[in-house]
Amino acid sequence: MWKKLKKTPSYLTENVREDLIRLVDLVKIYDTGSIKVMGLQRINLTIRRGEFVAIMGQSGSGKSTLMNILGCLDRPTMGHYYLDGIDTAALESNELSAVRNKKIGFVFQSFNLISRTSALKNVELPMTYAHKSKREREKRAMELLKRVGLGSRYEHMPNELSGGQRQRVAIARALANEPPLILADEPTGNLDTASSVEIMELFSQLHRDGATVVVVTHEEDIAAFTERIIRFRDGRIVSDKKNQPRNLTAQEAAKMQREGITC
Amino acid sequence: MLIENMSMALHAIKVNKMRSFLTMLGIIIGIGSVIAIVSVGDSIRALYAGLYADVGINRGIVMVSWNVEDFRSTDYFTLDELERTKEVFQDKIQYMDSDAYADADAVNGRNKVKFSFQGIDYNYPDVQKIDLIYGRNLNEADVKGSRRNVVLEKSGAKALFGTADCAGRTFLMTINKNTEEYTVVGVYQKQQTPLEAMMMGTSQTEAGFIPYTILTGKGSAFQDLNFFVWDGVNIQDFLPEITRYVAKMKNRPASEIMTQTVVEQMGSVDTVLGGMSVAVGGIAAISLLVGGIGIMNIMLVSVTERTREIGIRKALGARTRDIMIQFLTESALIAAVGGIIGILLGGGIVVLGGSLIGMETVVKPSVVVLAVGFSAVVGLFFGIYPASKAAGKDPIEALRYE
Repeated sequence: MWKKLKKTPSYLTENVREDLIRLVDLVKIYDTGSIKVMGLQRINLTIRRGEFVAIMGQSGSGKSTLMNILGCLDRPTMGHYYLDGIDTAALESNELSAVRNKKIGFVFQSFNLISRTSALKNVELPMTYAHKSKREREKRAMELLKRVGLGSRYEHMPNELSGGQRQRVAIARALANEPPLILADEPTGNLDTASSVEIMELFSQLHRDGATVVVVTHEEDIAAFTERIIRFRDGRIVSDKKNQPRNLTAQEAAKMQREGITC
Repeated sequence: MLIENMSMALHAIKVNKMRSFLTMLGIIIGIGSVIAIVSVGDSIRALYAGLYADVGINRGIVMVSWNVEDFRSTDYFTLDELERTKEVFQDKIQYMDSDAYADADAVNGRNKVKFSFQGIDYNYPDVQKIDLIYGRNLNEADVKGSRRNVVLEKSGAKALFGTADCAGRTFLMTINKNTEEYTVVGVYQKQQTPLEAMMMGTSQTEAGFIPYTILTGKGSAFQDLNFFVWDGVNIQDFLPEITRYVAKMKNRPASEIMTQTVVEQMGSVDTVLGGMSVAVGGIAAISLLVGGIGIMNIMLVSVTERTREIGIRKALGARTRDIMIQFLTESALIAAVGGIIGILLGGGIVVLGGSLIGMETVVKPSVVVLAVGFSAVVGLFFGIYPASKAAGKDPIEALRYE
């Protein structure tokens, strides 16, 4: 399957070594039968490796549609989406599964951990679908849980963890297969302010360690942690600006240290 | 990945213990009843095989049919003819006698016991096991010399002499209107399970062996030849041969010669049991169908409940096939576990019931393996629809599902 994925013509990949994401004339139209709804209108966008980007917009602005396409959960109606040099528009559903597994780490608003399944098993899941051995999976999952400050809670079920802790398990899970892209959809939407800061700082750390992080949000406070803010309205990009990321207050930093988040 | 799927399926079953158990119930009852009935059938077959082995699986009789219209006195056999036949077929026939029985009262002082004596040749112990506990069997001299020596069964010996240890004792008996003194040379015992005794009927008559030469004297005629073929000779193949020979000897067409063997009798038991297996097969098919539909139903519920989980798994990289296999494993495992419980239940009931009535029971491993395999296949088959429903879900829709 991967051989096929690598067959992307060279003229599309040669200049894009630094471009992790490249959207070319991307259009998404929802056909609801009687009316056709324009989800995205000719989007052109490039995100380089190592960027920390916020995608903002009101509901209906097209940011969720973009999120689904960036996450390879949905396909564009027209245009191209190159992820890590792969033209995803040409892939069939099992190939998209493989792309999601290896190239993307998802973090969702509602955590989306599998219930009645331990934190460790949840983190192992993407590695299971990548056919990693049990020993390898458990070792890496433990490392990742330690990194997000939950090393001692690996046996806990999701319902035994707080919202912030659940989201940290989800982040550990997103990192499992070392994907080039971390894609977070309203990651703090279900969290209180303190936990939100914690989670955003975790993303900042990942970014400082070299990860590419894309956060979809409608909250200015959250976008403030990122280095680039792209605003959407009515399926179009209306602004794309650099941002000076906010730093942690001393109080927040001390709290994180207490919680053992070290990444 | 197989182990992963198994542990995921086990986890899912454990999480919903009660529901999984109720789902399994159809399979448990289906497989349980099949195992029970099949095992009862096998046990009955084994019981009959035991009973027929008592009569002798190498044994056959040959005679001129009773149904011929012009029955002649020459249709009876003589001892000369018996000897001749034995001679001709000596490489096929190990043993032959005149199939003679004598019912007589044995008298010892005030004790009077009804006996049924079987007239045997001296090498009878070679073809049928006699479990001797005192004294000796009849020997060549007893038979050739028509000596009035007998071997008694233990219970008859006890009834007559008050003890089974009565070798050497004598009693009076009237056979063919001649009252003579007979000597006990040996005592044997015949063990029967209560069920065998029930099926064979408990007679008031005691058993014993007597030289057949006493019952069938020189010049007397008898109806049939009773023979045992050597081990390794197929008795069914041998029957046409001896039929032809006897037909020629008696100057009759082969169609008027009748033979009987235990194997034929056993065939009729098999026919009855075979009919039973067909009925059992029908019951099994219906109960497994019902059980399978139960599994399909609960798997459909489970797939709907776990829509979000399916969405998560797909987002994290599960392919259609992975989801399909996950749910198929689950339904097959539910069915297989149900099958195993059913086997334990059905087999347990049979073994327990058998030990209560003192019957030896047979639960064949092949039937057990077949039952588990079949129930897993049922689980797989009825799991296909729910699993494909799960695998076909759109990840975006599934992730949005509340």
